[in-house]
Amino acid sequence: MSSVTSRNRRRVLKGAAALGAYALSASPARSAAKPFEGVELNVSCWSAPFPKLLQTYLPEFEKLTGIKVNYDTPGFLIYNQRVDLELSTRGSSYDVLNITFIYVDRWLRAGWFAPLNDFLKDPAATPKDFDIDDFLPATRKIMSDKQGNLYGIPWTCDISMAAAGRYDLVTQAGLAMPTTFDEIEKVAAATNKNGVAGFLGDNRHGWNFPPYLQGFGGNVFRKPPDDLMPMLDTREAIAAADFYCHLLRDYGPNGVLSYSYDQVTAALKQGRGNYVTEGHIFLMPAADPDSKEAKTVRYSPFPRGPAGQFPGFATHAWGIPVGAKNKRASWEFIKWAMSKEMMMRAVTEKGYSSPSRRSVVQSPEFKKRLTLNDNDVADIYLKGIETAGGSDYMAYRIVHVFPQVDTLIGQAMERIVSKQMSAADSMRQAQASAIADLKKAGVKL
Amino acid sequence: MAAAVAATDRGYSVTPRQRLALLGGLLPAMVLLAALTLAPALYLFVVSLTPATPTNPSSLTDFSAPAQNYLSALADERFTESLWVQLKLSASTVIAQTVLGLGVALLLDRRARLVQALRTIFLIPMVLPPIVAALIWKILYTPDVSPLHRVLAAVHLPVSSLITNPHTALWAIAFADTWEWFPFTMLIILAALQVVPREPVEAAKVDGARPLQLFWYVVLPFIRPAIVVAALFRLIDSIKAFPLIYVLTSGGPGTATQVTNYYAFTQAFNYAYWGYASAIAVMLTAGVFALSWLVSAVGTRSSAHD
Repeated sequence: MSSVTSRNRRRVLKGAAALGAYALSASPARSAAKPFEGVELNVSCWSAPFPKLLQTYLPEFEKLTGIKVNYDTPGFLIYNQRVDLELSTRGSSYDVLNITFIYVDRWLRAGWFAPLNDFLKDPAATPKDFDIDDFLPATRKIMSDKQGNLYGIPWTCDISMAAAGRYDLVTQAGLAMPTTFDEIEKVAAATNKNGVAGFLGDNRHGWNFPPYLQGFGGNVFRKPPDDLMPMLDTREAIAAADFYCHLLRDYGPNGVLSYSYDQVTAALKQGRGNYVTEGHIFLMPAADPDSKEAKTVRYSPFPRGPAGQFPGFATHAWGIPVGAKNKRASWEFIKWAMSKEMMMRAVTEKGYSSPSRRSVVQSPEFKKRLTLNDNDVADIYLKGIETAGGSDYMAYRIVHVFPQVDTLIGQAMERIVSKQMSAADSMRQAQASAIADLKKAGVKL
Repeated sequence: MAAAVAATDRGYSVTPRQRLALLGGLLPAMVLLAALTLAPALYLFVVSLTPATPTNPSSLTDFSAPAQNYLSALADERFTESLWVQLKLSASTVIAQTVLGLGVALLLDRRARLVQALRTIFLIPMVLPPIVAALIWKILYTPDVSPLHRVLAAVHLPVSSLITNPHTALWAIAFADTWEWFPFTMLIILAALQVVPREPVEAAKVDGARPLQLFWYVVLPFIRPAIVVAALFRLIDSIKAFPLIYVLTSGGPGTATQVTNYYAFTQAFNYAYWGYASAIAVMLTAGVFALSWLVSAVGTRSSAHD
């Protein structure tokens, strides 16, 4: 009991210290008079861990600034559809919105978000210790245009890595964590028995397949974002599709095509699946105390294909819609939500595992949080993000027509796994459909 | 006009002035109805004549190629394939729900207290929010958590996931849809059964008619209009099928369960092709009207012959 009280006291003190630091760093005028007193902000983001945990801290922000925040976190699809409609009208219903990764190009190209450079340059608006350079370069690159204008402050990173929930079975078979695609095949085949699926994967094939595609030397488009000719029927793409679908079909669990990411996590935790390549966020729960694989799980970077290693990377960011009425107040919210202190509190107090600030990622607290079953997952996380930031291979994902191709990739994989078509036929059909859809979108091919 | 004619048929005479007064009385309701129903439909049609997409506001007023979306749709294999999937789903669900609804209604057309309680129980699937019904079937069709799959596995009859198999996915949806909506047809047919006059039934019994003959030659002619109406409602609703497909298969595996309605949804909300999706919606609406007219005409004619 006393330890709980003392921990709570420490949390309160830490919170008070963070608020104090934030208040001190702000302009004297605001500290004195709360210039945003009475302002209402409508803030929305899809339902993800960071925005949800941020919600619990909102009373602190409201007390500090006098701003009232109306906050909602609908599901991913609903959020994107709703915001797409709202932004297209350049309406003023929202003051702060999430810039969704796969809609970056579409929403920024259309001029639906305001650049944040003026706020960042203005010392009265942004204290020096906000330190925009602390955000990992891979995340800022995604949220910037070619002229270097930044439109969103990234709050998360999602990086593909690998986990073997039943590493004990892997070692029993005389194998180790796969570092290449060929080794994935061996591990999946050797561990696919006794009620354990050798390979797991969720139904977001538009996210899970491209790292394999690029590993085989292919790409989604010829040279995104400048040349958007789809490349789904190349020899490399067909080989990658054949390999990826073979893993799902021959080593996946019953009904693998309908697996959502939570089902993958659940299968890992229940000991029903072994090897999986996924976003890190869905793999970490395998090491939770209530997981049957807590003692046997092992993590590794995303394996290399014949053409190299291309772990999938995604980020999302807070931005200000151009129609927002009080952008200065919107920025006040973003600055608070994305301060170093808040992100560190998210890690230490709420167990947040996808920070976007280097100082937080490299902190002892985060390293401790991501040391799972003696695996240094924090290191895998950082190195994966740096791999993504070191080249432009993720450019395919943020072009405005990717949602079309994303759906077509999903359908192509499903046709192959369910044996409706061969890999070659299915990818050719996907290519033809992609060309038709891109032309419809006005893309010159 | 219809009211005036009906009045004349019954022997009333309506003066032009009275007719004008009748129309005047109806006018506010008709204006309201037009504003609420026709205006959005008209706007849908207008948008279908443009390459509208939200990322390009000027596209909403670009009428330079008004037929383009319609021509594109006719040349779009995914659209024509979705029509075929739609046809299979609509035909199977309407037939299944009508037959099952009729069968259960005949069984429940009794005055016993137990039977009356059963009627209420049968209505439960229909009154569930569609998304809840979809979630129930998602659980039942997901091998990891499904009690159905577990029971079958326990008796050494394991079944592969029905919703990820291209040969069974559509029928799995049709089955769930039938479970959810047969109570609707049952309810309408049961209501019709309860107003079937007793005299011809008793007379046929006295003449020695067997139960099947009694049903076919006496009862069915009385309830046929109700069956047609129920089937018509289900036909229209089957074309609007969405929650089950969205939750269970998302149109997959591949495009095995992608009905036209779902295809239009992906075009509008995943791809932002509003103009194209509107054109599909307009064609779908026209198709529903045509089918409704056809079913109604066939039903009316067969009733008139009886």
